[in-house]
Amino acid sequence: MSEMVKKMDRRAWGLKPSGLYAGLLLLLCLAAWPALMGPYVLHVAILVCLNILIVNGLSIIERAGQLSFGHSAFVAFGAYGSVLMSMHFGLSPMAGGVLALILAAIIALVLGGVILRLKGVYFVLVTFAFAELTRLALMDWADLTGGANGIAAIPAFELFGYAFDTRPRFYGLVLVAVAFSIILTYRIFRNPLGEAFRAVAENGALAESTGLSVYRLQLLAFIIGCMLAALGGVLMARYIGFVSPESFNLNVSVGLVTMLVIGGRGSLWGPAVGAIVLTTLPEVFRGALQTQHIFYGIALILILRFLPGGLAGVPGLLRGRQKVS
Amino acid sequence: MLIAQATVNGLVVGLLYLFMAVGFTLVFGVMRMVNFAHGEFYMLGAFSAYVLTTGLHLPFLVSVVLTLVAAIVVGGLLEYLILKPLRKDELNGMIVTIGLAMVLQNGALLVFGPDPLSMPAVITGTTRIGSIVIPNSRVYVVVFAVIILALLYVFLRYSRSGRALRAVVESFQIASIQGIPARVFYPLGFGLGVGLAAVAGALMAPLFVVSAFNGTTPLLKAFIVVILGGLGSIPGAVVAGLALGLIESYAGLFFKSSTADMIIFLVVIVMLVLMPRGLLGKGDV
Repeated sequence: MSEMVKKMDRRAWGLKPSGLYAGLLLLLCLAAWPALMGPYVLHVAILVCLNILIVNGLSIIERAGQLSFGHSAFVAFGAYGSVLMSMHFGLSPMAGGVLALILAAIIALVLGGVILRLKGVYFVLVTFAFAELTRLALMDWADLTGGANGIAAIPAFELFGYAFDTRPRFYGLVLVAVAFSIILTYRIFRNPLGEAFRAVAENGALAESTGLSVYRLQLLAFIIGCMLAALGGVLMARYIGFVSPESFNLNVSVGLVTMLVIGGRGSLWGPAVGAIVLTTLPEVFRGALQTQHIFYGIALILILRFLPGGLAGVPGLLRGRQKVS
Repeated sequence: MLIAQATVNGLVVGLLYLFMAVGFTLVFGVMRMVNFAHGEFYMLGAFSAYVLTTGLHLPFLVSVVLTLVAAIVVGGLLEYLILKPLRKDELNGMIVTIGLAMVLQNGALLVFGPDPLSMPAVITGTTRIGSIVIPNSRVYVVVFAVIILALLYVFLRYSRSGRALRAVVESFQIASIQGIPARVFYPLGFGLGVGLAAVAGALMAPLFVVSAFNGTTPLLKAFIVVILGGLGSIPGAVVAGLALGLIESYAGLFFKSSTADMIIFLVVIVMLVLMPRGLLGKGDV
């Protein structure tokens, strides 16, 4: 992690509760706008929210010092898990969703327990391979998962008999989930636990010598992050009403990492900024898909070079609070 | 006899994997950078061969050589212009190559369009050895591939720059102490690495269709081979590349291809966890 990203981290750590609530309030005001703009804008806003949720999970793992390129696999576990459990055991969407989250946590525990001994690019590669293995398994296990055709006509999310079957209703639900994930991230990094995550990410050997367990802390961060991804998956399946292995291919994982890096690593608002920018831009420039991807690529290169703190670091830079050292 | 045929097919595919993986591992060895854009150079190499042979009517062999030279130059320039600030920064360097891959793939889509092109065969007919049938086009590709590999081997083994490059792969610091100038060998290592990918693309262009989406599968295969052989190990990439081609070919006889793929990814994960240095790799984990 570069020096500047660490500085960003300390800034987020120093963020006062007033900063959090001001940010949330701003986000809520922004969130009210799509609700008035008709179904299409609302649809995009819902996709943005789902991505914020998932990238927040990725961000927690990253802040504990590991970059996961297999995040899409856990979105898939949430999506497939909840739908299949509802289908086969006749569970309500809520119960199926909760069980899927538990399932994702168990998989994260077992997988993380094995692979978190690896660091840096080796961890990246093993998560990458795991995501591909998951996609192939979903494709291959056609009796259960419907194979390449996926599962269609998934009923809407329902809570105590109240169905979130219209866009405005679902939007409300997903906004609550996003607010929850932001407050959760905030709480973690305002507590000693967050400080421990950061210590482990910055210098594992030093953290070990002060009595912190790098392995256990990274495992905890991995489980929390993967559960947020699974929550995103649970909601996504219920909203779109369709899941297929192709919704979880490697490009999705790479896209999530891109959102995190462009938005800003190690900051509270980075994932939200990245998800907003990279989800809405394709909708704005619908016609010129290739040109737009070229711009993403260039943006990624430029941001790594000149803005290691991502777009979320720009206000701080403008205020001149931090010097690039 | 089925086995013999599968062996021949496996070796041809293995040769492709070997090219991809040796280049990939060379880049990793020199720069500690996992190059996500590696597959895109394969794709560009195929387009380059296509344009040079069908557009400019150059002989295939000349096209392949020109592609190699162009890829080394372009790769070296890209390294110097884009990757230089992030050398030795494993994670950020890797993310930069993702950006580069996006630019290259979508650039190719803009220029060549999304429809796959097919290149005329360089040579037709088949060769029979006993009861094994090999299309001549494949024999041609294998011969070229072996020649280029032999040249690479001689370069790395005996030439001064080749030995210096291997020294940089082995240990950057010790190489620097010996007076090997890093500023030359970073671009050269990257250029040569992606040059091999481009040659693989050029050689395979007459066998398969040429499309802007062609880079993904070779990239995945390079990942697998390099993990099995050990990141940064050139002999490991050679052995594991051929082995993967053969294993896939044999597995195709007994399993569905998706099952075979799953087994391979499972092996990769187990391998990374148990032996992250791979079969022949060394160095830090």
